[in-house]
Amino acid sequence: MKAVILAAGRSERLNPFTETRAKSMIRVAGLTILETLLGALKDVGVTEVTLVVNHMRQGIEQTFQHGAPFGMSLDYVVQEKLDGIGAALARCEPNMSGEPFLLVYGDVLTTGQPFRPVLEQYAEAGGAVAALTLPKSSGEFGNVYLDNDMRITQLVEKPENPHLSNYVFAGIFLLPGTIFDLLRKTKNDMEATFQSLIASRNLTGTLWDGNWIDIRRPWQILEANRMLMDLWDRAEIHASVRMEGSVHIEGPVRIEADVVLGAGTVLKGPCYIGRGSYIGNNALIRSYTSLGPESVVGFGTELKDCVLFGRSVLGRLSFIGDSVIGEGVHLGTGVTTVNYREDGTEVVVETEEGRISTGMLKVGAFIGDRVVIGARHVLAPGTRIRSNHVEADRITLNSVV
Amino acid sequence: MCGISAVTGKEDVVAILYDSIRNLEYRGYDSCGLGVVSKGEVTVRKNTGGVEEVNKKEHLTHLKGTTGIAHTRWATHGRVTQANAHPHSSTDGRFSIVHNGIINNYEELRSGLKSQGVAFLSETDTEVMAHLIARFYDESGDVEAAFVTAIQHLEGSYAFCMVTSLAPGQIYCARLGSPLVLGVGKTANFAASDVNAFLQHTREALVMEDGEYAVVSPEAVTVRKLADKALVLRKPIRIEWDAETSKKGGYAHFMLKEIFEQPQTLRNALAATQVGVAHLAQQIRNARHAYLMGVGTTHYVALAGQYFFSHLAGRYLPVVSSDEFVDLAVVDSQDLVVAVSQSGETFDTRRGITHAKTLGARTAAVVNVMGSSLSMAVDEVIMQGSGPEICVVSTKAALAQMVILQRVALESALQDGRLDSKGYEAAYTALREFPDQVSQVLNERSGFIRNLADRTSTYHNWLVLGRGVYYPIALEAALKLKEVTYLHVEGMPAGFLKHGTLALVDASLMSWFMVPPPSEKELNQHTISALEEVKARGGPVIGLVFEDDARARRLLDYAIELPNVPPLVAPFLQLIVAQLFSYFTALKLGRAIDKPRNLAKSVTVG
Repeated sequence: MKAVILAAGRSERLNPFTETRAKSMIRVAGLTILETLLGALKDVGVTEVTLVVNHMRQGIEQTFQHGAPFGMSLDYVVQEKLDGIGAALARCEPNMSGEPFLLVYGDVLTTGQPFRPVLEQYAEAGGAVAALTLPKSSGEFGNVYLDNDMRITQLVEKPENPHLSNYVFAGIFLLPGTIFDLLRKTKNDMEATFQSLIASRNLTGTLWDGNWIDIRRPWQILEANRMLMDLWDRAEIHASVRMEGSVHIEGPVRIEADVVLGAGTVLKGPCYIGRGSYIGNNALIRSYTSLGPESVVGFGTELKDCVLFGRSVLGRLSFIGDSVIGEGVHLGTGVTTVNYREDGTEVVVETEEGRISTGMLKVGAFIGDRVVIGARHVLAPGTRIRSNHVEADRITLNSVV
Repeated sequence: MCGISAVTGKEDVVAILYDSIRNLEYRGYDSCGLGVVSKGEVTVRKNTGGVEEVNKKEHLTHLKGTTGIAHTRWATHGRVTQANAHPHSSTDGRFSIVHNGIINNYEELRSGLKSQGVAFLSETDTEVMAHLIARFYDESGDVEAAFVTAIQHLEGSYAFCMVTSLAPGQIYCARLGSPLVLGVGKTANFAASDVNAFLQHTREALVMEDGEYAVVSPEAVTVRKLADKALVLRKPIRIEWDAETSKKGGYAHFMLKEIFEQPQTLRNALAATQVGVAHLAQQIRNARHAYLMGVGTTHYVALAGQYFFSHLAGRYLPVVSSDEFVDLAVVDSQDLVVAVSQSGETFDTRRGITHAKTLGARTAAVVNVMGSSLSMAVDEVIMQGSGPEICVVSTKAALAQMVILQRVALESALQDGRLDSKGYEAAYTALREFPDQVSQVLNERSGFIRNLADRTSTYHNWLVLGRGVYYPIALEAALKLKEVTYLHVEGMPAGFLKHGTLALVDASLMSWFMVPPPSEKELNQHTISALEEVKARGGPVIGLVFEDDARARRLLDYAIELPNVPPLVAPFLQLIVAQLFSYFTALKLGRAIDKPRNLAKSVTVG
């Protein structure tokens, strides 16, 4: 069976991180969303995948190529114009063989193996199958109604009453080859296509009982990171990891190849240290920290609940908490993220759509790729910094003669 | 639900066929059978009981042949008898079929065939199909055409597999509304209700769609549309997963599946024998004492039944837990004992019934498993028709039993003249509208209930409280929560709280209140005053409240709001929400939901 992954969108609400990458290239708990999805597909024997790309597609294509490094066969369909899910899927028809296939939204993140229940349900019920999940918060998604046989009978708008929340599409489907005929009939309107499958009693559900998250806002990257790391139950330390003296490690830590840990460093799992990273002496890396490959952490720096995509340098004696940091970022000595408001209220973030409450009491900063922040800066809770921004050192004395 | 299976190969397939129905046994286990083609004949062996039991009686595995069909049954229509077990054959024995599903127009077809002189051996809808095929074959001389024409005469939902002595290596099968999957192997090909039947032999599965039929030989699998015989080209998919996981029809656990099946089990409970219900009501009225008896969940079902009888029929029925029945109950020939049991094999309940019979009492039972010991032992039996319940923790079966006891109470009230036909009709209207209301609640509020269960799963100690008929509901809800989550949960009457247990209330004890609708004014107010007692002592409170109950809502730390339903069915709705809440709490805590530690589905030992 083949799969189509939709990974073309811009996802502007995730800026600054999606200014420079596709959403599916966001890295949590050590892996990009796309790596996680492809790994899970391979695990159920699906190795031929068509990726629909547009926004920042070079990053995807360079990383995954035609799938050879992953033992898969990948091809790409470019959705030149971002004209919706239905249109994205319709463009894949030439790559499909008329057989049933998996359709996966490229920003779906789950724990465990979400494809197997879909295939199982197909083997039992035939027709089209949608994975369904119960989201953590109601109100962002339309609800589905089911009958006794798991047939989806209705797809409704998101309800207003907070007591009403139910199963929603989890972004994973198994669709018959005839879906392309339906798309033609609905002029590539995906919702109308689903409604038409429902009307002909051809769409059944399968309930996904694992965790599921659709990362819509930067702070949800932290939530996703915690969600995945919460299931870690063992430490994995690569044989090539070097510890330069006494290092204290507790809990489920994952440390990849060629990492160097300076003397006096303390690691508290769950946390992830990517390949080739260097952790300076006396660093304190607390739980839910995910350091992408080739990160450098300076002497005496403390990290907690934060996601770094990789290749960033954190200066000595810094504190980074509840923050997301893009690739190639350089933070000078003594940079501090403040992750808590003095009045103890939920942290609010300024966005293009106005101020939005994160619903979280602890939120640090969101720093885009290749940002440089000089020494001694203190970042307010909920700060967002666009990619490539440069902020000079805060120097208090200069050229005193 | 039944399991069907067919295999055709180059070598003997009987062992494979036998294994296949053992793997389908979860779909039904009251009778089974095999039909094998050898030496130009179809040989059928079948009987009542589980697969191993039937093998002991009938030596299924001694059959020989390279093509065959098999069936494991869960009776819905027709009793559990050898004649009613599948396969069913045409009179001349040339065609044998197995079937899963329901043929709606079978009575009409049956009388048509009877008038043409066809003799029927069973009470099943399936047998009609075997005779129809034989008749159409006589007209056309073409097996495939006869199979398709016969199917076109059927209304309903089905999956069939057929073998015939006229085409010894072939399986004919069709699907409309019931599952059917083909397995494509190297030395044999398969058709079955699900992949569990053949996963040991091939992982290449071709899923049939509704309205398709297939002709399967050891070499080839050909799928066509029933409507126009157009060829369907579809490649098999490779099944990469293990057998055990693929039986739950899209649900992660049987418990959730069975909770979601409740709209249908309610409809089935309403469709269960009206004559039987009326007769049981009569018997209860005639008895000096009519005991209700059950143990565990069914004890609480009996307690709910006790309230229904008091409220509706003005009759007090003693309820005794089955395990205490022998010690406590005083019965003789003027008494009736009504047992409630899902499996019909519960040791304590059987013992109670045996005791009652020895003392000359009349006996009756509400049972789910047809042909079970209890269903055979009692004088009257009402089959609740809930379908197999696989999760150890009972949900749908318990609800159906409560509805049936409520029906018996209504019937008794009608016979006594305590309820006029208008009131009786109004009650039935409420019951008939209820399944859709349950669907609506399950479809609209599962997410809310899950999120709440996630938040409250940190509490280790719980009280579940209710008054009036909500008291047995509270007891059953407490049992659900404790057995599936392993937390400490106590159910008790809300009015009982201040006579001792209130001493336990503090911030670490969660109290769950079954708040009756405000239309039940007194019950509602009394429940709320108990709620206030807990609140005043700093105890956190969850409440199940109906929409317009602003007063209760204000007092609650967590409210699950339910749409307004008639008081007759309101307790049932609260029970369903409690089941769902228990499920989600257990899910959050990572419990072995379908098989909680230390528990077994039917307790057949004393």
